Amino acid sequence: MQHYWKSLEEREHGALAEGEFPENPLQTPAGRNRRGFLKAAGFSFASAVLAGCRRAPVGKAAPNLVQPEGILPGRAVYYASTCTACPAGCGLLVKTRDGRPIKLEGNPEHPVSRGGLCAVGQASILGLYDRLRLKQPLAGGKAVTWDEADRAILARLDSLRSLPGAVRFLTGTITSPTVAWAIGQFLKGFREAQHIQYDALSSSAILDAHQRTHGVRVLPRYRFEKAEVIVSFDADFLGAWISPVEFTAGYSAARNPELTTPPLAWHAQIESRMSLTGSKADRRIIAAPDEIDGLVARLAGEIESGRPEGELARRLLAARGRSLVLSASQDPATQALVNQINHRLGNYGATIDLDQPSYQRRGNDRDAENLLREADAGKIAALFVAGANPVYDLPGGEAVRKVPLVVSFAERLDETAAIAHYVCPDRHALESWGDAEPVSGVTGILQPVIQPLGGTRQLVETLAVWAGAPRPACEIVRERWREQHPDDFENFWEATLERGFAAREPKQPQARAFVSPQPPRQNTSQAGWSLVLYPTPGMLDGRHAYNPWLHELPDPITKVTWDNYASLAPGAAGKLGITDGDVIRVAGLELPAVIQPGQHERTVAVALGYGSRLSERFAQAGPEWIEALPTLGPNGRIGWNAAPLARFENGSLRYVRAGVEPVKTGRRWELARTQDHHSLGSPRRPIIQEISPEEFATARPAGDPREELWPPDHPFTGHRWAMTVDLNACTGCSACVIACQVENNTPVVGKDEVRRKREMHWMRIDRYYSGPPEAPEVAHQPMFCQQCEHAGCETVCPVLATVHSEEGLNQQVYNRCVGTRYCANNCAYKARRFNWFEYARQDRLANLVLNPDVTVRSRGVMEKCTFCVQRIQEAKMEARRLGRAVRDGEVQTACQQSCPAGAIVFGDLNDPKSRVAQLMRSGRRYRVLEEINSRPSVGYLKVVRRRGGQRHG
Amino acid sequence: MHSRILTVVLVIALGFTLALLGSRSGRVHLPGNQQDYEPVQPIAYSHRLHAGELQVPCLYCHFAAEQSRHAGIPPASVCMNCHRLVTAPLGALHAEEELAQKEKRPPRPLVSAELRKLYDALALNAKLESDPARTPRPIAWTRIHQLPDFVYFDHRAHLRAGVECQRCHGPVESMERVRQVADLSMGWCVNCHREVNRTGVYGPAVRASIDCSTCHY
Repeated sequence: MQHYWKSLEEREHGALAEGEFPENPLQTPAGRNRRGFLKAAGFSFASAVLAGCRRAPVGKAAPNLVQPEGILPGRAVYYASTCTACPAGCGLLVKTRDGRPIKLEGNPEHPVSRGGLCAVGQASILGLYDRLRLKQPLAGGKAVTWDEADRAILARLDSLRSLPGAVRFLTGTITSPTVAWAIGQFLKGFREAQHIQYDALSSSAILDAHQRTHGVRVLPRYRFEKAEVIVSFDADFLGAWISPVEFTAGYSAARNPELTTPPLAWHAQIESRMSLTGSKADRRIIAAPDEIDGLVARLAGEIESGRPEGELARRLLAARGRSLVLSASQDPATQALVNQINHRLGNYGATIDLDQPSYQRRGNDRDAENLLREADAGKIAALFVAGANPVYDLPGGEAVRKVPLVVSFAERLDETAAIAHYVCPDRHALESWGDAEPVSGVTGILQPVIQPLGGTRQLVETLAVWAGAPRPACEIVRERWREQHPDDFENFWEATLERGFAAREPKQPQARAFVSPQPPRQNTSQAGWSLVLYPTPGMLDGRHAYNPWLHELPDPITKVTWDNYASLAPGAAGKLGITDGDVIRVAGLELPAVIQPGQHERTVAVALGYGSRLSERFAQAGPEWIEALPTLGPNGRIGWNAAPLARFENGSLRYVRAGVEPVKTGRRWELARTQDHHSLGSPRRPIIQEISPEEFATARPAGDPREELWPPDHPFTGHRWAMTVDLNACTGCSACVIACQVENNTPVVGKDEVRRKREMHWMRIDRYYSGPPEAPEVAHQPMFCQQCEHAGCETVCPVLATVHSEEGLNQQVYNRCVGTRYCANNCAYKARRFNWFEYARQDRLANLVLNPDVTVRSRGVMEKCTFCVQRIQEAKMEARRLGRAVRDGEVQTACQQSCPAGAIVFGDLNDPKSRVAQLMRSGRRYRVLEEINSRPSVGYLKVVRRRGGQRHG
Repeated sequence: MHSRILTVVLVIALGFTLALLGSRSGRVHLPGNQQDYEPVQPIAYSHRLHAGELQVPCLYCHFAAEQSRHAGIPPASVCMNCHRLVTAPLGALHAEEELAQKEKRPPRPLVSAELRKLYDALALNAKLESDPARTPRPIAWTRIHQLPDFVYFDHRAHLRAGVECQRCHGPVESMERVRQVADLSMGWCVNCHREVNRTGVYGPAVRASIDCSTCHY
């Protein structure tokens, strides 16, 4: 039996049993006596009686005067739209209830995202109900009307129209054809004006390399579902690299033992820090950041010569046209070598699509660098910034301050908007008309699902006003689309709004024949320390740093919430005498250290996206009580901004910095880290189970749980709800955690409460290591209420607040619960959460996101996963209304819906043809802690592990 | 001295017991029980007239009940289906017509005080046309049947099972002003669910779940 561990402490000392309760329940606080108790009891009784002696509050109901067609109170309506939380452009179905959007779901028909939606996308709905979103334009920091702003800006612009090269429009990657066109139209009014795109999480080198080798500056579209061998050099494509939902869907399709025709895709990851993608690799090679480019060159040499020396080249050459080599390197020469490898392997046209390229990254680092240089030299007279925050996320971005006229279109007062002379706030995507073309040939539509909540104006409308032709955004978008589809436009438009996207004729880039790149200068490895800057799947480049859900989401690997940190390898930390939480100084930045198994010895890794101005708002996060500790750090923000440590080199933004030695400062900073919370007991229990492909091929179908002497407690004559979770498909991306939080009104508790093990997520992802700390293997296990047939919680509840249903659900009845917490104590899976406080519900605007179908729990009540019983009920009621049975797949839990990998399947076990019943019979299926005979309704499918191990590069 | 205190206590206890007994007769209720709640509504709409005398089906106005968990309060546009023409009680209109015929003049338009409130809400002018100078203002009715926030009731399933509206809402068609007839307590719900599982709803067998999560989630 493999030895699994969650943290280095657990590996050393075994399960941290004493850590289940942060406070000792056996200790009686001093100063409490009988008299005091009687006084308190008498007072509580009296106040309860007083509180009870009144009639219910008078409720008012104001129906619509004229009912909009198709909208009924209490019925959800879904609108197709496109996610704009990052440039990946996933398809959305926006669930609205009584006129307000409450949940974002993936659009299963969308050709890019295929039904999944990542954590950031799920969480982005909270941005709509953000109290601190700008509501009107600002001039010099003061609120003005749109008329005043327009007049003032146009007056300033008039003098610039004939000045050559004075106007720059800086944006992030624009996937919207309409916005790109509108910016172009606006800039036509100026001489030699330029629209510059850059990405804070840049892939500029890939585009530059294709310029060199194929003559077109585009990002190819990677088709993971067609690959049999995947070799990734530091590209965290399952976590935060370019289009994680799309890539995860393809990746898991290529590695599904039940569905994929063999062989399953084999994946090697060469990286210096433990990434989400590395945690799934069949072979993970740990190399220093400065060695990785050299390894690409070596692989290129082996492929070129056709004489493989290592396993990678051997496997790649055996899978010509069915392999995929990727790199996240920001050195165009290295990327050109990657292109050469893929070209020699015949992967272009097979696993790499250059004919229908991706537009998810269009940034050009060289342009951004030039812009900052021009700004610094005072050559720019006016700078417009939309969908970007250069002051925060570009090294040297402070140069923007020198521009005499800066106009920002930010939704919130971010770093750039704060120094801008005018802020013309754009609308939230859910209030906007728009479009997005994430990959060539697929254009998604954005449609508003709510009236604008503030006096904002869409970017295209603002530009239209300034260009002298004011028009509503809807007309501008429709006009652009009509040009593409002049025939039968109205029908086409209606159909597109319904589907959410349209297939357009792809614009074929004129790629020329492959040109071999110049061999790059070999970097000599300096054997010194390197600093690696990386995005996390939750925070990305920091544009959502206003979002408390994403801050409280544990990092999928380190399980740290509400902070960024400097991660170090265990060996290196030992040598420097650094332990978890020691504040260390790295390149002028002082951060707490986190010891990360599987990291390269000479590497310090720091996450981007933190320390943003937008996180200053969390001063009040969490309950206010006498022992509460602040959520914000000493800088008044969440985490520290590492973006200034990146640098421009040879026209691309580099996230690796050599010669950065960590120094211990002697101070400490406590992190809120969930990795040891809710432990399932001895690490030697078979909580995670693995299977080799050979074993799986001969595995017998999984049987029913052991026979019992007694007649069954529950006959389950109707439905029997059950779920399977494929641990092989699960990447730990945590989309399900946020989806569950949105669906089930789970509160945010703040950093201090997380520190006290009081996080409220119903669904958590336990991350287990096995093997040596230098190079561990990783398994991710989503863990939530297992809806046990013999549930420990049910037998100990003194008030029957948790009982079994006829359909196999372990019901939690909030109104009965008196908060003894016996159930949580007796739960073997540690899936129950207690409301220690009336957690933040004061923000009335943010409360609009609450799901009206789920009770908001009050203080002193236990809660847990319900298998999304509100969705079950809705499906049952709807089926009953239509006079038919509930169909398989009709009930989708929130976690299942969001999962980009399709790892979660929910359904009726009593229907032998249902997907869940079939998977329950899979040879990979096991139940967690089956030996205690709790008979959970959740089956896990074993990790398919191909032992190739890991090694140092 | 002691006996006096005892008397006071006994009198209070007697009063409390009487109050409790009285609650059975429907006047006094325990906290949380809204039975017999009969609030004054912003418009004195008569269910007796509409549902009783004129026999408008319940679902004509409460059309959402078949498709949604909520039966819904009808939007004013539904009222206007009839009240675009009927602007006052029929008797008054007839009387005015007769009078007009007698006096050989066109009948004067009559608008009852209660319907005036409806037209005002819709911002209609004297000719019942939309008046741009006025702002429409939704009518804030007072809710009568209110379940606690942790209870989810679904009209769809009950209608489909053939439960008629009066079973829970009482003889609405005879009420001038709607009153909450049932106490809407959990015991009342569960008893009915148990009973229909034995007897069916007027014949056909049904499956009325008594799982907690049928209503609480």
